[in-house]
Amino acid sequence: MAVLSISATDSAKDSERPSPVWTRWLDLSDRAMAVLLLLPAAVLLALIIVYPIGRLVYTSFFNLSLTSGLPAEFVGLENYRIMLDDPVFWETTWNTVLITLITVPGALLLGLGLALLANLPFAMQWPVRLSLLIPWALPLSFAGLIFAWFFHYEYGVVNDVLNRLGFEGIIWFNSPNWAFAAICLTIIWKTSSFMALIILAGLQTIPRSLYEAADVDGAGRLRQFFEITLPLLKPAIVVALIFRTITALQTFDIPYMMTGGGPGSSTATLAMYIHQNTVSFLDLGYGSALAVVMFILSMGVTAIYLRIIRTKEA
Amino acid sequence: MASVSLRKLDKKYGSLQVVKGIDLEIADGEFVVLVGPSGCGKSTTLRMVAGLETITAGEVRIGERVVNKLPPRERDIAMVFQDYALYPHKTVHENMSFSLKVRGVSAAETGTRVAEAAEMLGISHLLERRPGQLSGGQRQRVAMGRAIVRRPQVFLFDEPLSNLDAKLRGQVRTEIKRLHQTIGTTIIYVTHDQVEAMTLADRIVILRGGDIEQVGTPDEVYNRPQSIFVGGFVGAPAMNFAKAKVVGDALVFGGGNTLPVSAVELGRSSAIDGRELIVGIRPEHFTAAGGADGSLSAEVQVIEPLGSDTLVHFTVGSEAMTARMPPNFRPKPGTQFRLGIDPAKIRLFDVASERAIN
Repeated sequence: MAVLSISATDSAKDSERPSPVWTRWLDLSDRAMAVLLLLPAAVLLALIIVYPIGRLVYTSFFNLSLTSGLPAEFVGLENYRIMLDDPVFWETTWNTVLITLITVPGALLLGLGLALLANLPFAMQWPVRLSLLIPWALPLSFAGLIFAWFFHYEYGVVNDVLNRLGFEGIIWFNSPNWAFAAICLTIIWKTSSFMALIILAGLQTIPRSLYEAADVDGAGRLRQFFEITLPLLKPAIVVALIFRTITALQTFDIPYMMTGGGPGSSTATLAMYIHQNTVSFLDLGYGSALAVVMFILSMGVTAIYLRIIRTKEA
Repeated sequence: MASVSLRKLDKKYGSLQVVKGIDLEIADGEFVVLVGPSGCGKSTTLRMVAGLETITAGEVRIGERVVNKLPPRERDIAMVFQDYALYPHKTVHENMSFSLKVRGVSAAETGTRVAEAAEMLGISHLLERRPGQLSGGQRQRVAMGRAIVRRPQVFLFDEPLSNLDAKLRGQVRTEIKRLHQTIGTTIIYVTHDQVEAMTLADRIVILRGGDIEQVGTPDEVYNRPQSIFVGGFVGAPAMNFAKAKVVGDALVFGGGNTLPVSAVELGRSSAIDGRELIVGIRPEHFTAAGGADGSLSAEVQVIEPLGSDTLVHFTVGSEAMTARMPPNFRPKPGTQFRLGIDPAKIRLFDVASERAIN
């Protein structure tokens, strides 16, 4: 008791003593302190994310073309109305969606296969895992260039293999469908290593004893894959899918390097169309409106995935 | 239910031999505990019985079948793992019924067996939960439940209590023993904890460096350890060891202490006359007798009152020893006192081989 009363008087004395001026502003409520500490990050985020997006939406309501020499003119939703009547917008959007629908599951399956292989217990694990990194580490445009050569009609390795197997070589980039297929294959090759890395990390979190328990329980390899591996990989797969889908919706470099969008605009993506309007045609108003649509598309997909994760957790 | 026999069982990892020709016959319905320090090969031996490790040489039989080449699922065993190895995405019911589902047991039969096992273990109210929502003790019970519903020939336990706190460990230990009394299935149980081994086992197998050091009932292992290692490993506080010389019918300790011992108690007394031996004495085999015969003169170092009894740490000559004395026995540290020994209870070990000679 004596000890308690002494410390009580001590703290009473402490509170009477005026604190130095420079520390007084620290005597804030927890809430105010939290806001204060978050402020620098919030300001930074506002400058580099919120402002550009706001500016983009704002610009999309103007007729602003740097080639016309005219000042920006507020046109409301006119850019969006033009978009609805623009066949190239529809074609490039459809191409983007198609690339997403083909390459995301494709990369997932290939990535899952690679991850399962890399996770097998064998002696030379690290070189294999390192080589998984290579496609991922390669710049996108570089991968596009390499594969443009692979699919070259005369000098490409793909046609060479086809010839050796007794097939006719394909003029890949002259046909909309073959060009599209070549681009999808390239994207799958380029992105499956990223999927494999995330899934491999997920695989390594599954304890070995679960498989031993399943061995004792009597489950064969296939059953173990579907009853243990796949359900426990779900979180890793969802994360990989979110990242992959968003980047697929923004596909630009690989078709840009391989076909430039051709033949016609049959392999052009929405991102390429945005680039064409803003950088080549300097039509900032229309380009911004297109970019807003792509932003909404990405947000929509992310929201759907997040909803799926949340219902899974619940 | 089935017997298990291990014959000349070897396990090598490259040039490292971790199990060295183990021979062991386990009777049908017996509870056998493999115990020993880390790296003694006890878990490896168990995993070879389970089929989770390949067998380098020798033979494992379950019942009449040699199971060396059979995968775990065909050995008719169930195993409880140290980390429980419950499927985190399945409910308790799904965890317990998984092996039955895989084997195509009917839903009705599965339901009955799971309900029975859950009832036995007191986890009926947890069947719809996932492992992540359970405490350590509850998970442990689910892991046992998963093994029970299988109705296997043999249960294998791999250090099942080492992830539990001390209090829970004691509680679950009792439950495992009760479980064995109820269902009577053969159990092979691995632990590094000699208390678990003593309390649970019908027979204890003490392993050291991949070899069997001694096999026996808990009483045999405790009262008649066949080596210094076993004497030191089983029992807490450990057996006391002190060097002494056989002179006629007496053991002469350091500091001039002499203990008269009959020829019968010494075993082959004539052969060991004049030899130096290591004497093993359990702490509770000392008595606070004051007589000059059959007693040692000791100097008290530290006393530890435990309530139920008092541990007295003392020295005889240069040898440090511990005695378990009655609770009211409280000599002062630094003082000399006399301790009696029951000569029938002492163990004598050869200095070189460290094996018992009586």
